[in-house]
Amino acid sequence: MAEVVFDQASRIYTPGAKPAVDSLDLTVADGDLVVLVGPSGSGKSTALRMLAGLEPIDAGSVRIDGRDVVDVPSKDRDIAMVFQNYALYPSKTVAENMAFPLKMRGMGKEERAQRVRQAAEMLGLTDFLDRKPKALSGGQRQRVAMGRAIVREPQVFLMDEPLSNLDAKMRVQTRAQIAEMQNRLAVSTVYVTHDQVEAMTMGDKVAVLADGKLQQYATPPELYDRPINSFVAGFIGSPAMNLLDLPRSSSGVTLGGIEIPLPREVSDAAGSRDRLTVGIRPEDWVLESTGSDAGSVVKAVVDVVEELGSESYLYAHLAEDTSTSIVVRGPGRVQVRFGDPIAVRPNPDALHVFDAETGQRLP
Amino acid sequence: MTATMERPAAPETTGGAPMIDRAEGWRRRAPLLPALIFTIIVTQIPFILTLWYSLQSWNLVRPGSQEFVWFSNYADVFADSQFRTVALNTVIMTLGSVLIAVVLGLLLALLLNRQFVGRGVVRTLLITPFLITPVAAALLWKTVLLDPTLGLINFVLTPFGASGTEWISNYPLASVMAALIWQWTPFMMLLLLAGLQSMPTDQLEAARVDGASAWSTFRELTLPHLRRFIELGVVLGTIYLVNIFDQVYMMTQGGPGVASANLPFYIYQRAFLGFDIGQSAAMGVVVVILTLIAANFALRLIFKSFSGEEEAA
Ligand SMILES: Nc1ncnc2c1ncn2[C@@H]1O[C@H](COP(=O)(O)OP(=O)(O)OP(=O)(O)O)[C@@H](O)[C@H]1O
Ligand SMILES: [Mg+2]
Repeated sequence: MAEVVFDQASRIYTPGAKPAVDSLDLTVADGDLVVLVGPSGSGKSTALRMLAGLEPIDAGSVRIDGRDVVDVPSKDRDIAMVFQNYALYPSKTVAENMAFPLKMRGMGKEERAQRVRQAAEMLGLTDFLDRKPKALSGGQRQRVAMGRAIVREPQVFLMDEPLSNLDAKMRVQTRAQIAEMQNRLAVSTVYVTHDQVEAMTMGDKVAVLADGKLQQYATPPELYDRPINSFVAGFIGSPAMNLLDLPRSSSGVTLGGIEIPLPREVSDAAGSRDRLTVGIRPEDWVLESTGSDAGSVVKAVVDVVEELGSESYLYAHLAEDTSTSIVVRGPGRVQVRFGDPIAVRPNPDALHVFDAETGQRLP
Repeated sequence: MTATMERPAAPETTGGAPMIDRAEGWRRRAPLLPALIFTIIVTQIPFILTLWYSLQSWNLVRPGSQEFVWFSNYADVFADSQFRTVALNTVIMTLGSVLIAVVLGLLLALLLNRQFVGRGVVRTLLITPFLITPVAAALLWKTVLLDPTLGLINFVLTPFGASGTEWISNYPLASVMAALIWQWTPFMMLLLLAGLQSMPTDQLEAARVDGASAWSTFRELTLPHLRRFIELGVVLGTIYLVNIFDQVYMMTQGGPGVASANLPFYIYQRAFLGFDIGQSAAMGVVVVILTLIAANFALRLIFKSFSGEEEAA
């Protein structure tokens, strides 16, 4: 168990090129599960591999439990890693796979068998101990990879998209198991995924990366409620937040012919900017009757309706400005169809306002 | 990756295609028939003739000596102590050369599998022995390298006080083997290099994280992964080297005595220098039978290890 600190850590693959991980500052508190999330190519795997010692750290430092590990080889960092493709050893049985890290550390045969048995029980692998990996299903392989990591009782777990090879149902199930196990073992964990649902459900804290740079590092609710910039706002949440580029008016912004007032501190922070990016989550629209007074609602025309049972999402474009599309959450059963007009009103207390140029949150 | 690398289920040979009747079957096979007949003519007829000759006492230098003697040629073959020496020579020469070539090839492959300046050049240079005609290679070894007075080996060894060694007369079998190993090491190296490069990197990384030393990684992961490549190299090398003739003929003529003769060369000697057709035919048949038995085991080994036993995961 240990605290992990990235201190201005950078990785530059090719000299002169843009860093794959750019001055990353991140602290994983002891026993926490931190999720690194971001789009493809944002440097999540690279950051994890820097911590694992599989990539050199070109600038800055990484500390595990207070010890600078920049020059420490992987095997001496006391970490265990679960790889995306599991990286099981094909010539070894499940038991041998799980015992391998222990054997490499010179642990005696008896104790090895004992630990492997314990881990196998915990993961429900007892019946497969003598099989080779190729005789296992994807989910079982995934558990063997987990087993190989936990027998070590390392200071830190590293996981790089460990669920991406599982089907949707297995993923949900395993996600919960991993979170539960991590809680029980209380080992600091860094978990990489590009799936923001995994990030939000599993992480004690979530770090959003884009282009090698840390965008925001916060708890899931905070990330959802107060995204620090328009990138995080658009990345977290499904369907994505509506980000609309709107002109200023005297007391707020104008959208589809109506005026949306902005809270006092927001308009103070916005200063003299004449355009703002306003974010409205799908659930923060209020559906009004189409006959409502024109000055108080935004009129839109439905393009697509997604009915999910408990709720539905209406994809629509504004009647006044057809190039602007919005997503609106509605009740489980809606009567509208393609081409129907709707009238919506944003909830003024749930607006996210960003600088139109820099994307920074205001205030 | 793991999932997609699974071996596809065995294709349904019987269930899928509709049954075809006899005539249709022959119609489809007919175009292949000429090739089959040709192959039978050029391989099986000589073999049957050989079987026939092996049952006769027939020496070309004694005209009219041809006479049916049943299996007495075979009895002579097994009683012939030279034949046994030569058979042993063949085993030593073949397996010894192959195994040493595999070990050297593995070392070179491990070397070439890492990044260093001039790797491409080194690789090309290391491959060249394999591209040289066996006869030319044998000549090169006999004259340029191993010649007692002019050879480079003795020249290099002179400062160490070992000049004038008659390599080929004193160590005939070892000399031939040296030439064979020199030619076959590059083949093994290429094969094993391909094997090394197909090793999944994430397994090596997992081993690093798991705390394996370089040696443990090699022994526990790389070697099992290379097993099938090594087996393939051994089998292919054996199939080629068991028949080798050029080096023996060029370097030592099998001598002194039969000290460096292998079976193909000995049979050749018996047939074309001793003109004993019956004897050499019998030897040929014995060799074919022994080779068939050995090849059967060898091929089974290949098919077993390449049938994807540990393909996935
Ligand atoms: N070995 C390498 N050499 C050069 N560039 C690399 C190398 N590995 C990764 N990169 C680059 O570094 C950047 C970050 O890659 P990384 O693999 O960390 O992304 P990621 O966030 O894990 O993406 P994904 O979700 O697709 O796995 C990418 O732009 C990638 O092209
Ligand atoms: Mg990745």
